[in-house]
Amino acid sequence: MKAAAKPLVYLVLLTGAALFVLPFAWMVLTALKPVDQALGQPHAWLPLRFEAPLGGRRVEVRTGDRVVEPSVVALQAFSARPVVLPARTVWDGAWHPATGAPLPIKVLREIPASPAAPWREILSVSGGESDVVPESAIDSHVSFRWENFPRAVASMRHFWRYLANTLIVCVLNVIGTVLSSAVVAYGFARIEWRGRDRLFALLLATMMIPFPVVMVPLYGLYRHLGMVGTLQPLWVGSFFSSAFSVFLLRQFFRTIPQELTEAARIDGCGEFRIFWQVVLPLCKPALVVVGLFTFLGAWNDFLGPLIYLTDEHDFTLALGLEAMKTSQSGASEWPYLMAASTLVILPVITLFFLAQKSFIEGIALTGTKA
Amino acid sequence: MKTGEARRTALGLAFTSPWIVGFAAFTLFPVCASVYYSFCDYDVLSRPVWVGLLNYQDMVTDRVFWQSVSNTLVFNLMALPIGLVSALALALLLNEPVRLRGVFRAVYYLPSLVPAVAGAMVWLWILNSRLGLLNQALEALGVSSPPQWLTDPAWTKPSLALVSLWGCGNTVVIYLAALQGVPRSLLEAAMIDGASPWKRLVHVTLPAISPVIYFNLLIGIIGGLQVFSAAFVMMGGAGPERSVLFYAIYIYQNAFEYRHMGYASAMAWMLCLLIMALTWVASRLARGFVHYPSE
Amino acid sequence: MHAARCRWSALAALALAVLAGCGPGPSSTGGRVVVSYWEKWSGFEADAMQAVVDDFNRSQGRIEVRMLSVSGVDTKLLLAASSGHPPDVAGLWSENIPDFSEKGALTPLDGGLAKAGIGAERYVPFFWELCRHRGFTWGLPTTPGCVALFYNKKLFRAAGLDPERPPRTFAEFEEMSRRLTIVDIERGGRMARVSFSELTPAERLGRHYTLVQVGHLPQDAGMFLSGWGCWFGARYYDGDRKVVADDAGQVATYDWLRETAQTYGVDNLRNFIEGFGVAQSGQTPFLGGTEAMVVQGPWMPNFIAKYAPGLEWGAAACPAAEGVGGGSPVTLAQCDVVAIPRGASHPKEAFEFICYLQRQEVAEKLARAQQKFTALRSVSPGFIEHHPNPAIGLFLALSRSPAARSVPRLSIWHEYDAELAVARERVLSLRFSSADALREVQERVQWRLDRVMRRWDVVGAERVAEWRAYEDW
Repeated sequence: MKAAAKPLVYLVLLTGAALFVLPFAWMVLTALKPVDQALGQPHAWLPLRFEAPLGGRRVEVRTGDRVVEPSVVALQAFSARPVVLPARTVWDGAWHPATGAPLPIKVLREIPASPAAPWREILSVSGGESDVVPESAIDSHVSFRWENFPRAVASMRHFWRYLANTLIVCVLNVIGTVLSSAVVAYGFARIEWRGRDRLFALLLATMMIPFPVVMVPLYGLYRHLGMVGTLQPLWVGSFFSSAFSVFLLRQFFRTIPQELTEAARIDGCGEFRIFWQVVLPLCKPALVVVGLFTFLGAWNDFLGPLIYLTDEHDFTLALGLEAMKTSQSGASEWPYLMAASTLVILPVITLFFLAQKSFIEGIALTGTKA
Repeated sequence: MKTGEARRTALGLAFTSPWIVGFAAFTLFPVCASVYYSFCDYDVLSRPVWVGLLNYQDMVTDRVFWQSVSNTLVFNLMALPIGLVSALALALLLNEPVRLRGVFRAVYYLPSLVPAVAGAMVWLWILNSRLGLLNQALEALGVSSPPQWLTDPAWTKPSLALVSLWGCGNTVVIYLAALQGVPRSLLEAAMIDGASPWKRLVHVTLPAISPVIYFNLLIGIIGGLQVFSAAFVMMGGAGPERSVLFYAIYIYQNAFEYRHMGYASAMAWMLCLLIMALTWVASRLARGFVHYPSE
Repeated sequence: MHAARCRWSALAALALAVLAGCGPGPSSTGGRVVVSYWEKWSGFEADAMQAVVDDFNRSQGRIEVRMLSVSGVDTKLLLAASSGHPPDVAGLWSENIPDFSEKGALTPLDGGLAKAGIGAERYVPFFWELCRHRGFTWGLPTTPGCVALFYNKKLFRAAGLDPERPPRTFAEFEEMSRRLTIVDIERGGRMARVSFSELTPAERLGRHYTLVQVGHLPQDAGMFLSGWGCWFGARYYDGDRKVVADDAGQVATYDWLRETAQTYGVDNLRNFIEGFGVAQSGQTPFLGGTEAMVVQGPWMPNFIAKYAPGLEWGAAACPAAEGVGGGSPVTLAQCDVVAIPRGASHPKEAFEFICYLQRQEVAEKLARAQQKFTALRSVSPGFIEHHPNPAIGLFLALSRSPAARSVPRLSIWHEYDAELAVARERVLSLRFSSADALREVQERVQWRLDRVMRRWDVVGAERVAEWRAYEDW
């Protein structure tokens, strides 16, 4: 029974894992492709580099349409650029299109292409020169376009400022949330006082209030304070603790034996000193978890910056990425968008691998202690 | 004694004062202000004009409002059960004694960390009907006209559900922690009684982790009613024929694009009521199913 | 309200005393007043404006204008004005003016204009009117724009059409469009590439083909999509309190859109469109050589030069439905404007700058660099001849046509536009009839307009009094 089920477990887990990783792989592969290949010219998984003879030299080229029947390269009247036409439609010095009248053309050369020996249109990278060559004359090998990353940074225009802004917001949020939430959680966890439990219930209840409910009046509040259009609304609130972090830390503080703090109290320590010198050092793992989640929350936040930031120089990375997508050039230049997305995701993934244990423990804590 | 208690109360209040001040400024005041605004016509730039219940009356007749409600509910009815069940299934598999469990867990968890905007970009590209990975794969599998995930109003909500499924790793990890807390003795006892794996799952494991299932359901409902970023970024707002105009997006549009702050506030209040109602329903349902371990 | 503001400020000051805040940047450097200027354009239009700004900064020593390209300037400006830190000058579109002025986000210019001697007589009346709303002037024109039909001569030739003879009537436009549409279809086991006009009736009805080229795609008109009604005589708005979204002209417009979807098939069209990005990227079907005709503005040659240098194009007035325009060519026109937001720190200096932009030689320099024309009545000798845009004469003539139209001058145009877009999606997916889709637009936009008007009835008098107070500046 168990032995039969085991391969199935692995099969499902592996398939699932592949599906979860695929979007990342597709993103990175696209990020390393030239624009035309990302748009399916030609369809290929890996970024390729094509080389072919053009203008007497072997150079990098872009590939165009495939030619699979005998054809001619010809010049049309009024047009400087030669075109490829099926040989069966060309006679008497004219092209006979399926629709409309025949057009006079000047045949430059003939191409003996066939389904067995196809030819292909090629274009120089700059788009200035073109030719038709046998497919066998085109070499291809895998080539990653790392230069897409600096290009993506450039096309996001203020990438470094976005990064700096995001880091400022993240760091201030982490400092604010960790400090204030620890103080507040201590008040809820380690001091017995009247009304404490009712107040804590209120705190838990606020976690249910969705952001959209307070979005409008909060905007009004920050506007009165003259903060709209600056980064301040994105971090000021964190210095007044967050309900979720208080909840997490309170759970943790409660696990510390009372004897430790009692001993300090007998030694005449003030409550704040007990908090700062006795309890806090014991709670580093919990503080790290809170810090990590806060950092991620600030890094990933989109709605907040969308509402409060006006000047492009103040944007965070998330907002800058969105602006890049909606900008004129962003719409079809998928490799640059994917490169920029990679740059936004990369720090988060790095952070995860550096602090994997804290992450998993922290998440587990949120669910099981609820 | 009396003074000791007063001192402790003062101390407790002092320690919790950051939260109390923050609560007053960033929760209580906005909530009260939003009640007031919801009875006004208000565009932020000029003074609010009192209009009584008009915003609420408008809401009843506003077809788009109801569309946003139904969009949100339909999306959640799609995404939430699939997400909860898949996460549970993955957690159950990961709870088996498999090799490389850490690696699997990391792989499943990572997508949930990805910033919503960046994730939306990636999926926008995967779901592109002509060039996207998904449709290329479907075509390779012989599907002649695969769905137009982003442009066909019938497919936009399933597309977003797919994106949210990708981010279910958070729930997986929570389940997994809960599963590891299921007492071995219970499972072993069931095994000795000759219970099949399915019976063990239904009669032992699921009841044991039912509080966590309930927790995930609550979090899912509250989060699901606020879905914003993925739809906003991927569909440029409301999506084709407003098919992904979710409640939070409609609030945003009214408040910040059209500047009908009063109407947006009224909508925000209805959302609050909706969440309370759904939570109440969930807690009612939970009564029969959730088993809290007796301490 | 005032008391509340003070209280909150005090609380904030208390709470945030320890936390550093960052105020706005310096407002003067080296004795020069710094005027901040938000411009909607990026790319070559922004470069053109930057050159003019540089000229202005060199021309005098008192004011320094600093230009910043801000994407989505219209929403950003409202946010900035409501936050109390707007820029000194904002580069907007004329259709923003009714909305922004009514919301109190702009400064009326009339007092200053009277002193500076700038008035209606210098401008083409159509564009001057676009800068006005409720009896006040809210901005000054920089470069106007209007649209015409661009067509690909090579594709014309390939379809057996005379490349020097673009369509003149709407029926001709439709006929050519079908002829210029090329599909891949299976015939007797082989794929054939033929023109849509050569398909048999059965093949047309079956719609089992792939579009490889379209004659014209009504959905590919970018920002002008909601303006199609102008070519069918739609009214949009009665100018007072009634929205007109479902008149015969608008229904005809939507029937025409719907017909496209019916003719070519909803899925075929979607497949054709997806894979191309938004207008003006390198991947629009017209620039990619897979769309033969497109309605675009005078900026189009610049994009052609950038993305499709080999494209052989011509331009002509886009024909209107029969009987529309009364013999004059129909176009949709709008105007870039520069305005001074309410609460700007240096309105006087800002005003000096926007007046500088009105000089004939400055306006024409900007127009040339943006490939456009000016809103001024007089045109300098040689302006057309030495203009980089070979079609500028056409655009200049179109913009002076008596049948030139603008989108309705309505503060809720933004919402109106969004509703029209939804109706468009609905008829293009064939789920709604034009009349049904537009009836809902009518209901919704009228509802919004009623709300805005009711508000205006309450605060309008206050507003006008505020604006009057500006008259002596």
